[in-house]
Amino acid sequence: MADDNKIKPASVFMAGIWKENPVLILLLGMCPTLAVTAAVKPALTMGISATFVLLCSNIVVSLLRDLLKPHVRILMFTLTIATFVTIADLFLKAFMPDMSDELGPYIPLIIVNCIIICRAEACASKNGLKISIVDALGMGIGFTLTLCFLAAIREVLSTGNLFGKAVMPESFVPWAAMGMPVGAFVTLGLMLAGVTIILKKKS
Amino acid sequence: MQDNKLKFFLKQSWLIIAASFVFGALLAVTQGAWQPRIDANQIAKFNKLASSMIEDANDFQIPQQMAEFTVDMGKGKKLKTEVKLATNAATGETFGWAFIAVGSGFADKIKLVVTTDIKCEKILGYGVLFSNETPGFGDKIKRDDFKQQFVGAPVGQLTLTKIPKKEENKDKDRDKIVAITGATVSSKAVVEIFNNVIPQVKAELESKGLLK
Repeated sequence: MADDNKIKPASVFMAGIWKENPVLILLLGMCPTLAVTAAVKPALTMGISATFVLLCSNIVVSLLRDLLKPHVRILMFTLTIATFVTIADLFLKAFMPDMSDELGPYIPLIIVNCIIICRAEACASKNGLKISIVDALGMGIGFTLTLCFLAAIREVLSTGNLFGKAVMPESFVPWAAMGMPVGAFVTLGLMLAGVTIILKKKS
Repeated sequence: MQDNKLKFFLKQSWLIIAASFVFGALLAVTQGAWQPRIDANQIAKFNKLASSMIEDANDFQIPQQMAEFTVDMGKGKKLKTEVKLATNAATGETFGWAFIAVGSGFADKIKLVVTTDIKCEKILGYGVLFSNETPGFGDKIKRDDFKQQFVGAPVGQLTLTKIPKKEENKDKDRDKIVAITGATVSSKAVVEIFNNVIPQVKAELESKGLLK
């Protein structure tokens, strides 16, 4: 990925959505994937917040990539990521206080999200601005979509609602377990199994 | 020799130093712009929590005598604490006291809104203003079944127990709080906040002649 001209932005973007999906293929960012997917709204907020941090950190790291010496590299990544996570956290506290309370410690925990440091190291520190931005958007949107898909399954099965609105018939008996941690593990496990089957069939 | 060392240090770390200043400035500007809104949200949340415990009250003001009140947190640390009188703005009637009580939890600080009756003898309840306790375990301090144990408890020293209270002893054991299974540290933290902060608030209110 060293030369921007040889890389197609569209393929980089699509890699984040499917071929290198951070959750389903790379198995990164498992903590928020399991913790905030009981409902779609917090999952969407988490996905957008992580995408914002990923985008900003990729931009900064890409711009500074020629100045990054090996011994300060990780320190610079952490400093950059922590700054943008703090901004995202302050934004939620100021404009979405209820959501900020609901997400609790998981927004500050984006600082240690492997996806962001992984993209800074694997992509932004080796590529130009354009590819870094496209990579951040692809990975961020891939992460958000996966979180929302997982959350939608869990929310519908555990409450009969989607985005807080009833979508199941009145006779539906909610599966309380799907809203609990066990529901997150089971749903994610089934999703990973489904993806593995699809990939095996394709290959 | 010293000059060489300084040059080497600056050569190796100038980027980190410069980035720290730039990011620090960015955070300072962001916080400066949004902090008034965050504070307003906190006040609104305080009022909402307090009025859910004292239903007839809709106005919470700090009496002038309590403007500079600080709570001794132990180890020489003091923390400025807001103690507000709960009143009904329309009738002027007073109903009790609402204040912020802070202590150390399992993961981070726990910030509670505690309410008492107007004589500061009985606890009316508490709400969680801020906590980062472990989801699924420590965050059960927000649940009604745990919070209800504090309603009607006397102001004084509460004790934490792991043994469920017997139905016939419920009135006698009002000062006993049954810990949450799997979250003893968080339960203990809440009880310690009550035991540390409320007696100090009561003593201050008494000394200022605010208890009727």
